[in-house]
Amino acid sequence: MTLQISSLEVGYGKRQVVKGANLTIGKGELVGLLGSNGSGKSTLIKTIAGINTPTSGSITWNGDADLAKLARRDLARIVAYVPQSIGLSFGLDIREAVLLGRTPYFGTRPRDEDWAHVDAAMQRMGLEDLGDRAVTELSGGQGQRVLIARALAQDPQILLLDEPTSALDIRYQWQTLAVARDVTRKNNVAAVIAIHDLNQAARFTDRVVFLQDGVVIAEGRPADVYSPELIKRVYGVEVELSLHKGFVQVHPLSERDQSALGLHSTPPEPTHDPRTVEQRGYATA
Amino acid sequence: MSSVQTESHSPPLPHSLPTNTRKPRDRYTGQKLAIGFGIAAVVITALVGIQIGTSGATLVNVLQTFWAKITGTVPTDRTTLLMHNVIWELRLPRVLLAILGGAALAVAGTLFQGLLRNPLVSPYTLGIAPAAAFGASLAIVVFGATAGSAAVSLVIGALLFSFINTALVLSLASSRNLHATTLILVGIALSQLFGALTACIQYFAEDEVLAAIVRWTWGSVNNSAWYQVLALFALLALAFPYIRFRSSALNAIAFAGDDSAKSLGVAVSTVRLQTIAIAATLTAVTIAFTGIIGFVGLVAPHIARLVVGPNHRFLIAFSAIIGALLLVVADAVGRLVISPGVIPVGIIDALVGAPIFLYLILSRQKAIE
Repeated sequence: MTLQISSLEVGYGKRQVVKGANLTIGKGELVGLLGSNGSGKSTLIKTIAGINTPTSGSITWNGDADLAKLARRDLARIVAYVPQSIGLSFGLDIREAVLLGRTPYFGTRPRDEDWAHVDAAMQRMGLEDLGDRAVTELSGGQGQRVLIARALAQDPQILLLDEPTSALDIRYQWQTLAVARDVTRKNNVAAVIAIHDLNQAARFTDRVVFLQDGVVIAEGRPADVYSPELIKRVYGVEVELSLHKGFVQVHPLSERDQSALGLHSTPPEPTHDPRTVEQRGYATA
Repeated sequence: MSSVQTESHSPPLPHSLPTNTRKPRDRYTGQKLAIGFGIAAVVITALVGIQIGTSGATLVNVLQTFWAKITGTVPTDRTTLLMHNVIWELRLPRVLLAILGGAALAVAGTLFQGLLRNPLVSPYTLGIAPAAAFGASLAIVVFGATAGSAAVSLVIGALLFSFINTALVLSLASSRNLHATTLILVGIALSQLFGALTACIQYFAEDEVLAAIVRWTWGSVNNSAWYQVLALFALLALAFPYIRFRSSALNAIAFAGDDSAKSLGVAVSTVRLQTIAIAATLTAVTIAFTGIIGFVGLVAPHIARLVVGPNHRFLIAFSAIIGALLLVVADAVGRLVISPGVIPVGIIDALVGAPIFLYLILSRQKAIE
């Protein structure tokens, strides 16, 4: 039971954002997608979710048909997508917001079965007492839990999380990541999470994949792949690594640290990425 | 949150009973009751509205007229015949046009607000009103300002340019996948364009023509006719089942955003294109008959949301009810205050509606945000 991505190419217009990505993700496995802004993390995730269309390559689940060729509604019964916490308007109540996850399953009127999934997902995310509250009244962390509950109500086999923690404070970041890992294990889904924080990725994911300019440049267990050279290459920063309770941790070095350690002080290359800031922003938007 | 919506949910379930889900019919009782009461309110205000006017009419007259029309009998007595004609040819089409026009504008407003995910948009955001005004102005200039001969040409002019405008907006924005912001900006640009074209006509027009153009832009149901009532009824009867069928897709687009809606299995571009085309058609046909009636399309969806909540499955029907009520009441008030004179419904609508809307915004801020 694996999600298999082979030579995947995705682009906006003439510009290729994902270039020949190969990835395998197993059931019950949480894989962290790492890379600088504009490296193609979001694009890759959105392509698996059917939001973007690949130009070539394939995405298969259990060796079956190409997911990119499935009808949208059928795809939505297999793959669920959790976006960054977004501004919610019009005061939908939480139960109805979670019910949106059942959209691929019912027509106009939700069935008993749909409500059962909604209640189960809400209970799973500890939202059962908040059902009648408007989503506009929620804190960022609760909002993110609603989005994950919505994805669970979708009853997916593949769970995709696109930088779900970037709008949250540290407490909710940890809570969200713990929930993501927990859900991956207990619901036995193949999960991919795009994430910025290397330390959190090391702490919560089973495996990490580094993307640079749309190409997979390294993958494996965080403790195995993290290295000062790789991180310098991907992010353009000098770092030291340490182990904390068995998890590899990354510590960026300041200019002063570097001279004190006798390292050759090189400023980050300014033209590391030839594209403009706007273009890169668009790629992750 | 409105009281109606809160009542529709029973208290949270105890932890030990996760699978004991409540029957779906219990969940939306409040919404269904609200729609039932709303329909009754529309019927009652309509019956009252028909009675209002210079030549007076009682409920008995109204019912007698209906009965005479159903049975096909023609009254022999001259006064009764006159009364029947006033009710059937003037009052009834007027009240029905107010009901259907209000409903159509409110439904269009709800669709636009949901599809563009913006509580500030109205049926006119895409520039339909200035385009229709330009079409009507052109018709007035070409065919003259006299009402009788100009009525049909006015309708056709307004309708034609509304459709040209909508086609332009949709084709220009389709290069950007009909993104909400692109649609709104293209709409603003075309509003300015058609506004300037209308201003050109007004600048060079004779006083009489100018007066006719200005009168058209006020919006009223004074020139209502049965063919308009039937056209709008047919349009709503066709559009409503489709919109209802799309209500969960609308919910996903409105509350989850384009990307998430796609990941929930919704063909966002297709739904948006079809639904905007429907909303624009409802708006165009209504204002071709009535002129520009503002306010109701912006506000009825908000009032409805406060009562039944934002779920489009119920919101669309209830918006239609609120829109109908707003216009029927506004038209009745407009005929009463300076009787025998008539103030156009478009003016009264905002005069009556604005304070109600302000009260709702300030007293229940959370639901509007």
